[in-house]
Parts: sequence; C-alpha cells; structure tokens
Amino acid sequence: MIDLIHVTKRFGDAVAVDDISLSVARGELCVLVGTSGCGKSTTLRMINRLIEHSEGEIHIDDQQIRAFREETLRRRMGYAIQSTGLFPHWTVARNIGLVPRLLKWPKAKVQARVEELMALLGLAMEAFAGKYPHQLSGGQAQRVGVARALAADPDILLMDEPFGALDPITRQSLQDELRELQSRLHKTIVFVTHDMDEALRLADHLVVMHQGRIVQQGRPLALLREPADGFVESLLGGEDRGLKEAALLPVSQRMLPLGPRLLARERIGQHASLREALSVMLWRHAERLTVVDDDDLPVGELSLRRLVGVRSDE
Amino acid sequence: MSKGRRWVVPLGWLALLLVATFGMGQLEGVFRWIEADSRQVIYARADFVTLLGRHLLVVSVAAVLAILLGVGAAIAATRDWGRDFLPLVSQLASIGQTFPPVAVLALAVPVLGFGTLPIIVALLLYGLLPIVRNTLAGLEGIDPGVMEAARGMGMSGGQILRQVELPLAAPVILAGIRTSVTINIATAAIGATVGASNLGDPIISGIVNGNTAYVVQGALLIGLLAVSVDSLFSRLPLAGSR
Repeated sequence: MIDLIHVTKRFGDAVAVDDISLSVARGELCVLVGTSGCGKSTTLRMINRLIEHSEGEIHIDDQQIRAFREETLRRRMGYAIQSTGLFPHWTVARNIGLVPRLLKWPKAKVQARVEELMALLGLAMEAFAGKYPHQLSGGQAQRVGVARALAADPDILLMDEPFGALDPITRQSLQDELRELQSRLHKTIVFVTHDMDEALRLADHLVVMHQGRIVQQGRPLALLREPADGFVESLLGGEDRGLKEAALLPVSQRMLPLGPRLLARERIGQHASLREALSVMLWRHAERLTVVDDDDLPVGELSLRRLVGVRSDE
Repeated sequence: MSKGRRWVVPLGWLALLLVATFGMGQLEGVFRWIEADSRQVIYARADFVTLLGRHLLVVSVAAVLAILLGVGAAIAATRDWGRDFLPLVSQLASIGQTFPPVAVLALAVPVLGFGTLPIIVALLLYGLLPIVRNTLAGLEGIDPGVMEAARGMGMSGGQILRQVELPLAAPVILAGIRTSVTINIATAAIGATVGASNLGDPIISGIVNGNTAYVVQGALLIGLLAVSVDSLFSRLPLAGSR
C-alpha cells in the first residue's frame, strides 16, 4: 500500500532521513519510533508531501506520489497531529466536515458523515457539534482531530504523535480506542511516536529509527526478543523488556484448561495481558488465577510458573 | 451588551457630529464670546457639510487604497514565494510612517499639483504602516499547528488564505485599519495648506487670520469625526477579542 524505496531527505547539508526503505501493507498499523530528531516525523510528512523527499521513490498503491497533485494526494490520506490543528474559528462539526467539503460532497452527505464519525468517536452530537475547539478538553480535541482525519474515509491515515500531549489515562484510553477502531476499519496507518509503550501497544509493524536510518523493523514481539543492537535494546527498556513482552501477550496464550482442583479465588479476564495477570498475583499474593471469559465464566487457570513461561506445570 | 445597544455609543457620537455640522451657526453667541474682536466668528467660505463631506472623501479614498495596498503587500510577503520580500515590506511601511506627511505634501505638490491628490498620497503613505504591521502580525500569529493541519488536509493555498488565515487574522487586521483611519482623519487637516478644501480649512484660515473661533470650529468637527469613526470600528463584530 505504502512503499518507501531508498528514500533520503536532506535539509541543506544535513541528512534528516538517510536511505530508508519501508513497506506498509494494506490494513497494517505501522509505528515509527525513535528519539527526537531521528527523522520519524520527517518520514511521515514525506508521505503526504508536506516535505518533499530528496532522493528515492515513495509509492502509494504502486503509483509515485509525485504523480498526484499535492492537494489530491493529501485528501486521500487522513492526517492527525499532536497539536490537533483544529480551526479555532470553526465548530467541531464544521472542523470534522472539512475534507468532505473540500471534495465537494453534497451537503446532506457531509452532515450524515459528520454525525456518523461523532458517534464512532463517542462524541455526543447535541453536546459537541456546536462547540468550538477551545471549549474542549485535550482528549476530546484529539478525538475531533481523529474524526476529521477519518472524515472522507481515506484508506491511509498518517498520525504524528497524536496522543503525545495527553495525560497517561486519556492517552491509554485513546490508544485502546484506536486499536478498536482499527479492528473494524482496517485502515493503513502510519503512526509516529517516541513512546515505546505506545508503540508496542499499537504496532502491527514496528520500525525503530535512529539518526535518520531504520535500525530495525518487524513485529513488536520479534524486536523485543531479538533487538538488533544496544540502541534498540535500550529503547525497548533494557531490564523492563520482560514486562513489556508480558504486556503484549494475552492470558489465553498461557492458561491451562480447568483441572480437577478447586478454582482459585482471584480472577482475570482471558483478554487481559500477562502483565496484568502478574500484577494481580503480586498484589493479591496469589500463585494461581482463575481465567474467566467475557461473561465471567471460568474457562481456565493460570499459575505463576505458567505465566513466567516454565514449560511443564508441576 | 445586547445586539441593539452596542450601537448606542457610536450613534450618539455620530448624532453629535451632525448636530455640530448643521447647527454651527446657532452657536454664534458662544464663538462671539471666544473671539470678541472679529467681525465674523462663523467660518463662512464654505459650509461645514461640504467640508465634512470632502474630508470624509479624502480619508476614505486614502483608506481604501492603503487597505488594498497594505493588506495585499502583507499577504504577498507571507506567501512561500514572497517570503524574501518580508523585511523589505515591513521596512518600507515603517519609512512611510516616519516620513512626516507635511514633507510628503511638500514633495508631492510639485509633481501632482495643488489640490486633493497630494494629500491622498500623503495619507496613503502615512496610513500604510499600521495596516501592514497588523496584517503581518495577524497572519504570522496563527498557530503553526493550524496551518500544518490545513495543508495536511489538502486545502489549497487560496482556500487556506480565505477560510483560515484571513478569518483568524481579521481582528488584528481590523485593529490596524482602525488606527490608520483614525490618525488620518486628524492628519487630513494639513491638506488645507495645499488647497485641498476640507475640515482643515477653518483651522488654517483661523491661524492665518488670527481667528480662534475658526480654529475651534474646525478642530471640534475633526475631533467629533475621529471619535465617531473610532467608536464605530470598536463595535464591529470582528474587532476586539473573539
């Protein structure tokens, strides 16, 4: 869907992005992660031509991005940024309807789409449609920003640290919502962040950048298990790697079927992560947890030995 | 302030201006007391309505030209292709303001002759700076995130200018126009020295003939006009905070 082929960007003599190649498959959520100044934002902005690349080729659906008019290209891609960039003199509804109006959709269709998106992002129509951006909280403004990016139903979504300025709780709930949205909408998303936990939580495909180059890319678990070098390892949290990995694995992967023994008193949902399960064990001083399904019915059990990955259970 | 009541103050000043313009003759007693020695105490070479009209005309023409030129130059200097001219534009506008209007008149008369034209040129140059400066400040002051989003969403340069930049900069631009017009209402009076007949006439004539009553009449009307216009500007929906 999106292919970067030996792409380089120079600003004067400085090389911001150095000969990177990257493919993002349709429906994949690709996260570019790295320290400030590593070229991740520059890479993102080259895809919608806010920055023109110096060398190499960038393709969308096997067509060079330079074959499109800039405006046409950008209207095909949603774009969400950290500062939201909502127009302060427009209401929420008008902000969301921006791209459909640019594409000259009929009025009724724009209106219907705005209502649909507000519902999708949990923004009550009556409460928010007529509000101005300065009347919104950070999380609400970012939701509107995402709704605006999705407005014309683009195949591609570019997100530049969209949740970077939010408090941890709001950030996590928006991350969960993005995952949830993505499981329904199957957009091709390129997401930039410097927050490794966010990257691991969201990514299908994780790309670690350093000094304008791609140091390593692959599935998050693969990177966690085999970091290419010390830099990737330190970015992945060094000693914390075990916990980060546990956060990516669901309880259902390690649980055993219910045995003849009595059910353990403490319970954990089957979709919870191993990290959450470990936390419950630590907190409750429990060695065994009963795994329950969505209806709170026991479906299995998880012991500490299983959780930490010891093969045979007693 | 309710919708209807916001206009009370400017309309009050406007009414006072009209009363003074049409009823100056009625105040003969007052002016007789100020200027007891003169044979004539009410300026009579032209009636005040005509003078007011001409004064307004000169200021309006200069203002329209200054707005077109000032806003246009500031917009051009903030486009990608015009950025190189940004320092030049703001410097030229500063020079326009530091150059005294009297000196502009002195230089313009030999070229443009006596009459209304030289004073329009002088006012245009003098009024340019506040407009250019405020338009630049308004356009440059827009949140960079808003501009990036506008571009990233696929708006064209013209769409960004019309739908985003100008509406957001409007309050600041309007404040510049207000300053420019108000100071030019006062400055226009010097046009009387080069034969542009306006509300400056009674003042110049009063100074030349030693008739204080004439000076007061001219100054009173110019003052009322300036206050009325300024007060009208302050009530425009875009002026002040959003």
